[in-house]
Amino acid sequence: MATNSIPQQPTEETKSADRADLVIGILADMSPEAVAAMCSALRTLPGSLRIAVLQNGNANNPLPLQSSEATPNSSSIFFAPSFLAKPSGPGAGPLTMAASYQSVFTAGEKLQSRGCCVLASRLESEIQQWAYRLAAPLVGGDTDLVLPHYARHQFEGLLNSCVVAPLMRALYGKRLSNPMGPDFGLSRRLVQKLLGKERGGGGANGLHPLVSIAPVALCENLRVAEVHFGTRSYPPPDWTNIGSLMAEALGPVFLDIERHAACWQRMRVPAVVPAMGEPVAVQDEPASVETTRLVESFALGTRELQEIWGLVLPPATLFELRKLSRLAAAQFRMPDELWVRIVYDFALAHRLRTINRDHLLKSMTPLYLGWVASYAHDLQADGALRPDQRIERLAVAFEAEKPYFVSRWRWPDRFNP
Amino acid sequence: MWDQIKQALIQSTARFLTEFASLLPGLAALVLAVILSVVVGWILAIVVRRALISLRFDERMAGWGFSSLGEGSPLGSPTSVVSRSLFLLVLLTGFLIGIAAFDFAWTSLFVRSVLSYIPNIIGAVLVLVVGTIIARFVARSVLIGAVNLNLQYARLLSEGIKSLVIVLAVAMALEHLKIASGIVELAFGILFGGIVLSLALAVGLGSKDLVTKSLERDAKRAAADEIEDPLRHL
Repeated sequence: MATNSIPQQPTEETKSADRADLVIGILADMSPEAVAAMCSALRTLPGSLRIAVLQNGNANNPLPLQSSEATPNSSSIFFAPSFLAKPSGPGAGPLTMAASYQSVFTAGEKLQSRGCCVLASRLESEIQQWAYRLAAPLVGGDTDLVLPHYARHQFEGLLNSCVVAPLMRALYGKRLSNPMGPDFGLSRRLVQKLLGKERGGGGANGLHPLVSIAPVALCENLRVAEVHFGTRSYPPPDWTNIGSLMAEALGPVFLDIERHAACWQRMRVPAVVPAMGEPVAVQDEPASVETTRLVESFALGTRELQEIWGLVLPPATLFELRKLSRLAAAQFRMPDELWVRIVYDFALAHRLRTINRDHLLKSMTPLYLGWVASYAHDLQADGALRPDQRIERLAVAFEAEKPYFVSRWRWPDRFNP
Repeated sequence: MWDQIKQALIQSTARFLTEFASLLPGLAALVLAVILSVVVGWILAIVVRRALISLRFDERMAGWGFSSLGEGSPLGSPTSVVSRSLFLLVLLTGFLIGIAAFDFAWTSLFVRSVLSYIPNIIGAVLVLVVGTIIARFVARSVLIGAVNLNLQYARLLSEGIKSLVIVLAVAMALEHLKIASGIVELAFGILFGGIVLSLALAVGLGSKDLVTKSLERDAKRAAADEIEDPLRHL
């Protein structure tokens, strides 16, 4: 932090650092201009609020210079980067994402704020409005969790569309488009529940913030809302590392399912979550995806990983997969019911520790790539469904197969591949 | 003279019968020890088999990659292997106890040398078991990683790595057992080096064109992906 360029900062922090009405944690790289624009929008929140902005400054991204005082018609903003935890030890690297989220929540509790907002996405449009849209429902007092509803192109956020979102929808009974954020708005009540569960669970098996926020809010019957956001930028795929991505994304999801088993087994028909703001239309140009390599990956996995999949999947599913692997690439279609049962069977195997969990999740990669190829073919076919219609059809399949998952979860010995 | 021959025969027969009679208690003890060890071994094997079945031992072994443990063996599943190994161990113990009942110096020496060799056997078995577990874990990791990288020779790579680790474990076990250590060292060096060289030749020279094309394709794809690939997973 370039402290000599912000001579007023320490004094401001000392005076303002005892409490705040709202805490905004900026975990993404944002330029000083973007932060300034965001602060201008936040000042228009009703109620003359005291807002703390937490952002780690560095030489390439120095903190904005000016805090502001409240006036009757606007809120005050002060910068308090010292509340963000620093990595300890010599030569320590940056904090992990989970630790960064925990740091913002802890700061919110210390400052006794009414709510916390976390901005972790790289934003492409209407940057100044994102924090405002997350904060406004919290300030009104009628929402505990604000989730983003991003405008997405047809091939963006595929893991979320094909596994995370429909799985959480079927299990927890709420139709959330981005249950894992990464941008969130949380009320004080929800932050306290999250920190309480983290202290209670503790250690390496504690909550993973990105995954646990929505399930904790839903299981505690808190109020959840979505806000329409614009587009965010996604990192380009690293094809050498898809397996690790699967393990990092789905491991915490499956762990959370195990943790909240008593809750989701009671949930019934999913309810729609109110979405605020105007949806942002995205013009999808017809993009061609090379599905041949995806289908080849699937075929290779079917040939070489039968021994591993046989420990997780029932014989009927293995038979269907072998039939699919013999199809030509252009005719490759994976039925939704098959994909849904595969996800449920892997979630169960993760709980039962049938094989090493890292091996289990990485071995799911060829199956996921097969689904992606099938999805691309569905969108590119004549008379194809729109992407949102296609994803909705998948989500309905997840709901329809939930009884299968519940019975296998309760009586795993009933069918034992 | 015939009287002397007759006398010598009678004396040697008497000596033989006396010696044989002195062996009888030892023989009876040996037979009794073997029968008792068969009974005890059979009971222990049944108890252990039932305990392993209740613990779903075969399924856990399959999860750790030992599903083929019983396939190459005439004994059957891992549970059968363990229970019958226990039975044979108890039988061997009974046999050694029976042998020790003979009051000869060489039988006592034999029993003592067998008992002093048992720690080597236990160490060798441990090395083999741990080595096999590590070999299967590493092989599975390599197989999954290679399949995810779309390598067509994933199975070859995985089996090669498994063979390397198992050869290493077997060599270490044989060294523990102090069996022809010089020959084992030499054979291990040749075999290990041969496997590594074969893998390198198979992957490097034998699939040279394939690797070259694969690297060129990946390089072109990496350049094209930055602009054209619309897929975003997370």
